[in-house]
Amino acid sequence: MKTTVVALCVFLSCSIAIGSAVLQCEHKELDIPKEWKDMVDPCVHSMRGQIEEELKAAMQYMAMGAHFSKDTINRPGFAKMFFESASEERQHAIKLISYLLMRGELTSRVSELIKRNLAPKTTSWVTGVEALKDALKLEASVTKKIREVIKVCEDNPTKYNDYHLVDYLTGDFLDEQYHGQRDIAGKVSTLEKLMEKHGALGEFLFDKKLLE
Amino acid sequence: MKAFFTVLSVLLVGVLASEEYCYDDVVRACKTTNKLSTSPINCTAKYGAIDGVEEYLQKYVNHHFIRSFEYLLMSTHYANYEKNRLGFEKLFRGLSDETWHDAIELIQYITKRGGEMNFQTVSNDIISEEQQDANFELYELQSIAKALDIEKKLAVEAHRIHGEATRKNSKFHDPEISSHLEHEFMPKHRDTIRKLAGYTSDLSTLLNGPDSSLSLYLFDEYLQKQ
Ligand SMILES: [Fe+2]
Repeated sequence: MKTTVVALCVFLSCSIAIGSAVLQCEHKELDIPKEWKDMVDPCVHSMRGQIEEELKAAMQYMAMGAHFSKDTINRPGFAKMFFESASEERQHAIKLISYLLMRGELTSRVSELIKRNLAPKTTSWVTGVEALKDALKLEASVTKKIREVIKVCEDNPTKYNDYHLVDYLTGDFLDEQYHGQRDIAGKVSTLEKLMEKHGALGEFLFDKKLLE
Repeated sequence: MKAFFTVLSVLLVGVLASEEYCYDDVVRACKTTNKLSTSPINCTAKYGAIDGVEEYLQKYVNHHFIRSFEYLLMSTHYANYEKNRLGFEKLFRGLSDETWHDAIELIQYITKRGGEMNFQTVSNDIISEEQQDANFELYELQSIAKALDIEKKLAVEAHRIHGEATRKNSKFHDPEISSHLEHEFMPKHRDTIRKLAGYTSDLSTLLNGPDSSLSLYLFDEYLQKQ
């Protein structure tokens, strides 16, 4: 009995001390059942990696936006499109984060989720077509990586098929990837045809079209 | 002495000529008979001291990106089921969005002045932060304190760039840049700093009471409505 009282006093004394000077900033350890948390490590790991991939894509588009904004390049339509793509990619990262949070993940090691290695590799392009082709390749590589995440989450050494996540990635993310890729491929085609005989004029007109 | 005057006059001619760089180049380019002009024409948007201030602005952009990602991590932490503080999540997400969009606007500004973006350049003090194993999973009051420090750093950095652009040295003096910073960036920072400082005042009195958990719950509800 005595020990309980002592323990209680020790426990209380911290809140009492807080009453005078020390603030109570931390809360107690929680005891929440873990049974509902059913994501397996390899799958969580690959999802965390994909968040960084999306942010890398965002920064790559950011570099394209910056390049086409230059006075000596002067392609405001391209710049606008690429800046928007950059923000979209960031939204994809945020969507993946939200999904993991919904499944009870990201309760630890959040600080390591994004590293400071996101600076874009390529920062200048000879033409608009060149940049669009790079964008198409970038999207294709992202698609491939999402497929790899799906594979890991469907079948891994733990033999745990994460139906819901796989469905989300397939139905939501891949859907957007394929539509996006088709759109860029169409743009490459139109622009390349425009430029066949009218290089400078073709790109000029196409750029203004992108501003509409 | 004569040599000195010659040098001086050459310099003067140089200065005078530079005023009509673009026009002279265009005249030369249009005269070229073989149709393809080989030398580039100097008709850039650069004037004033953008060359002197450009690097500071580039760093400023990169610092915005770094902070934007850090705020995103702080927001993520508050959205997990154990923290479950949706108001704090919203607060940090808002800060992350703001720094992200400010970074884009700054890039657009640099290019508006004829400059270009360099994604590699970061200040040494911010590089050294990385070695100290940054932690973004903090308790409520700590996280707001951290955000307040970050915002102040960004605000003071804008002051420093402004200082560079107001040096009475033609390499740096550029009132357009200082005015842009004054009007586009400084008021936003002022408001964010004031808001966060107010939150720390509220929280430090609220957490000084008998039930900090209930206070935090209610404060979080308040943040959700902001
Ligand atoms: Fe994406």
